Amino acid sequence: MYRYDEFDKAFVAARVAEFSDQVKRRLAGELTEDEFRPLRLRNGVYLQLHAYMLRVAIPYGTLSSRQMRKLAHIARCYDRGYGHFTTRQNIQFNWPRLVDIPEILSELADVEMHAIQTSGNCIRNITSDHFAGVAADEITDPRPYAEILRQWSSLHPEFSYLPRKFKFAIIGAQTDRAAIQLHDIGLRLNRNAVGELGFSFYIGGGQGRTPMVAKLLHEFIPVENLLHYATAIVRIYNLYGRRDNKYKARIKILVHETGFGQLREDIDVEFAALKRSERYDLTLLQADIEAINAYFCTPDLENHPNGRDTLVSLRLKDQAFDCWVDKNVTRHKHPDYAIVTISLKAIGGIPGNATAAQMDIVADLAERYSYNELRVSYHQNLVLPYVALQDLYAVYNVLVASSLASANIGQISDIIACPGLDYCSLANARSISIAQQISTRFSRPGYQEKIGEIQLNISGCINACGHHHAGHIGILGVEKKGTELYQLTLGGSAGNRCSIGEITGHGFAADEIVDAVETIIHTYLSLRIDHGEPFIDAYRRIGMMPFRQALYGTADKTAAE
Amino acid sequence: MALLTRQLLNRGRCPIPNDNKKIWGIGGFRENLYINVERREKEDHRKLILPLTQWKQQVMQTCSATCENDQIGIFVAAGDDIEPLLPFLSVIPLLALDFPVFDDGRSYSKAVQLRTCHFYLGELRAVGDILIDQVSNMIRCGFDTLEVTHSLTQVRLAAHSGEFFTGFYQSGAKLVRSGQRRVWYTFG
Repeated sequence: MYRYDEFDKAFVAARVAEFSDQVKRRLAGELTEDEFRPLRLRNGVYLQLHAYMLRVAIPYGTLSSRQMRKLAHIARCYDRGYGHFTTRQNIQFNWPRLVDIPEILSELADVEMHAIQTSGNCIRNITSDHFAGVAADEITDPRPYAEILRQWSSLHPEFSYLPRKFKFAIIGAQTDRAAIQLHDIGLRLNRNAVGELGFSFYIGGGQGRTPMVAKLLHEFIPVENLLHYATAIVRIYNLYGRRDNKYKARIKILVHETGFGQLREDIDVEFAALKRSERYDLTLLQADIEAINAYFCTPDLENHPNGRDTLVSLRLKDQAFDCWVDKNVTRHKHPDYAIVTISLKAIGGIPGNATAAQMDIVADLAERYSYNELRVSYHQNLVLPYVALQDLYAVYNVLVASSLASANIGQISDIIACPGLDYCSLANARSISIAQQISTRFSRPGYQEKIGEIQLNISGCINACGHHHAGHIGILGVEKKGTELYQLTLGGSAGNRCSIGEITGHGFAADEIVDAVETIIHTYLSLRIDHGEPFIDAYRRIGMMPFRQALYGTADKTAAE
Repeated sequence: MALLTRQLLNRGRCPIPNDNKKIWGIGGFRENLYINVERREKEDHRKLILPLTQWKQQVMQTCSATCENDQIGIFVAAGDDIEPLLPFLSVIPLLALDFPVFDDGRSYSKAVQLRTCHFYLGELRAVGDILIDQVSNMIRCGFDTLEVTHSLTQVRLAAHSGEFFTGFYQSGAKLVRSGQRRVWYTFG
């Protein structure tokens, strides 16, 4: 993984010093809360329902054992013993004291981490495929480019006061595991007809109250022009994005209101001007890419050709292990290795939460079995990217002993959820308790397996941090006349066939919503062609009507509302 | 000049006159050589700053940016397009780009465009709601001077060594680590 060079270290240290000064000025009353707000947001500090919340970036979802241990230490010493991994490869601490935050940032800087630009109207943490560099279907590892974008966008002088937040996601594989079409800019590495590397640029995706799937802006931008094109897009957005209404300020609205063709023309004019400019040469040279590559220590994997046989015999002996391998282990590009996903979705637990003790255990596992490296997925799970097949059983047994062996990746209890009304000042309804009830309801042996692959997402408000729009089943908490109601959507998807879910009809009360989900599941089970047809495929085949009929006794949309 | 000034006095918006304004640039505070159009009658020894809309009308009337225009700076509101200025950049001595509120970032992009794509060599001045925490970004985007009203910002700038730029990634924007070289030098 990427190691800081001297400049990176000095940069983060300077930012910690700067923010420490700002906190001091705030505590001394020299800065008002209004003046302090954009400064703290730039450093990942939110004011939440009960306390300040600190959001720490895990750039492109990669972290080391040492870094994970530091997160555990922070959870233990400055928080209440746990952290929450988010859908954008960040971790949130919900209970730090403002006065402690400079010290926390300083501790993070010791392990080459920071909270810079994890909030505020700027370019946020660059997210990527959590299987980057190890996936069998990869064209090239996107993380060096993610790191280049991270450096380019860090405290960018021109782009620090954008109309609204701006999110990049980048992948280098055939399969989109990073939801690129739900980002302001989604990048896919690919090769042109003569084998040169470049990027497909998608623009204007996002969720929130106006969900939109990003459109393909350019099929192929050569690698050397990555920063020219990214700068052109963000500049046009900075100049013309709406600033009069925060709900209409994202680039998706600019795309919609300007018209896709016109906006593409505007971007192309700026792109051409940037390429011409000798004074602002953004050309990404091969030497620059190689310099960044050199700071990524990709491990040299030893061969373990006997691991496969060992694994086969262990799977035959231990059925629970067999099930876990089936659900949580993914094929690696090296035949003697596997990618292990550690579920943070224990039955009845809080999606994405990990205790300090669990973080330490996962850090130990990474150190011993995964070349010191870990990943965080946007599904709010953790990943060991380099586990030899012969070590899988040992890893599994440690996870069992630590309540981290839920064999449910891609199942109905692998729920994406925001913190909801239990923590968040924006939320209208609780997410966590609904997630807990759903995972418990479907936890009886064999039930989840019978349902098969499905993505269920829960957001506690229209800001959609729990990605409900992109859930095969989505649940949105709303508040109506003082009570919490839950609206259902069906047919959303974040992957290669990205789509926004459709609302079923009127919402359900907190004590009805789990039954409603079960009704949907029963309908699916009765209508699917066979066990091999996943929920989303069945939904795309049969549409909303049978589900609406089952939920409301009518297939008519208006009547269901 | 006097006629033009009188005509302009009756039109349009310019930044609100404020006696607490101070002009700051790298090296410290300096004398303001310009005066906004509203105050021209009282103090006409200084050069003038006109709003872009009025300047445009004037150019249209005379079909050129006359030689006296090298005495006239232009106030560019955050929502103004810089396109009409481009043919005249070589004779415009000062462009005052507005920050109506501190988190309106449009004028940063205009500054970079003016410096790097249109090779503007005159004075770029940031005016409006300027706090200490934006100063570094403004300088890095190519501003020469800042018109500072906020009194605490004035105090902090006065106490400043001038060395608060400790290193940024965008140096030359080529990911070339710059050491002590400052990024705004690349703007020439």
